[in-house]
Amino acid sequence: MALDAYEEASDEALLVLYGNGDPMAAQLLTHRLAPRALGFATRLLGGDRAEAEDVTQEAMLRLWKQATGWRTGEAQVSTWLYRVVSNLCTDRLRKRRTVNIDAAGDPEDGRPSAVESMMDEDRAQALQGALNRLPDRQRIAVTLRHIEGATNPEIAEIMDISVEAVESLTARGKRALAKDLAGRREELGYGED
Amino acid sequence: MAKTDKQPLLDSELELFFNAARKADVEPSADVFNAIIADAEAQLSAVETLPVVGQGSQEGGWLQSIFSAIGGWPAAASLASATVAGVWIGFTQPVQLETLSGGLVLSGDYTAADTSYALEDLAPGYLGTTLFAEDEG
Repeated sequence: MALDAYEEASDEALLVLYGNGDPMAAQLLTHRLAPRALGFATRLLGGDRAEAEDVTQEAMLRLWKQATGWRTGEAQVSTWLYRVVSNLCTDRLRKRRTVNIDAAGDPEDGRPSAVESMMDEDRAQALQGALNRLPDRQRIAVTLRHIEGATNPEIAEIMDISVEAVESLTARGKRALAKDLAGRREELGYGED
Repeated sequence: MAKTDKQPLLDSELELFFNAARKADVEPSADVFNAIIADAEAQLSAVETLPVVGQGSQEGGWLQSIFSAIGGWPAAASLASATVAGVWIGFTQPVQLETLSGGLVLSGDYTAADTSYALEDLAPGYLGTTLFAEDEG
């Protein structure tokens, strides 16, 4: 198949191609899905990049194993993957809490100074700190809705809850973030109006 | 007037944080990317090398041998279809059979035929039907 045709193919079509023995389809799917899975896992795991990479690799492995038995038209591949990532992260967070209940906090500050000086980077880090202080389910719902750009019905499918429950979780999560980040208003340079 | 720290962020202010998070670099490292691709290839190889049950071995037993002898799944599917069709033909009313045969098998309305045959006419004494006739008077 020509490369253009691969690039235009849906995630599901690529997964079916992979299931039929096409390794090129796996490469394209990895390019498309692994960054999204990694970003999502990183946010859920409080900025722990190494653990998020483990989760991403595990989630992608589960996707490969699922390929031959994939039932077309039932769920979007990305929705399925977000669900797996969400479950893997929740498991890890649960285990982490049994080891150290106070582990969650602001992410590490040991980044290169050139990056530290960027406003966006500061805001992203401040947001990550505030996300870490949210209950797990609110963090998952807010991250999916406002960072990953998922719709409420998609989030409902990923989290296996009703759309109303999603709306409630995202509303409460946003309110908590707005309160938590209020103290960073001056520091992050948008309190001069 | 400047907003105080106690006032929660407005939606538009919070959106700045979400925007910043969306822009953050989340590309997997080359090592992770390569590991994921290696997993994909290993999984493909594992599927391709799975042994086929009953092929070249005695593991399938006599049932597997019979199944293979009649032609495997395609033959089994045909056999099942023929069985279902046979049962249907057996249970369906003759009127439908006539419709299907285009009048070759039966002609006219079989159910309203002047001449009808009871089972004892065709097989006198069969299954003791004469006894039933006697009981009915």
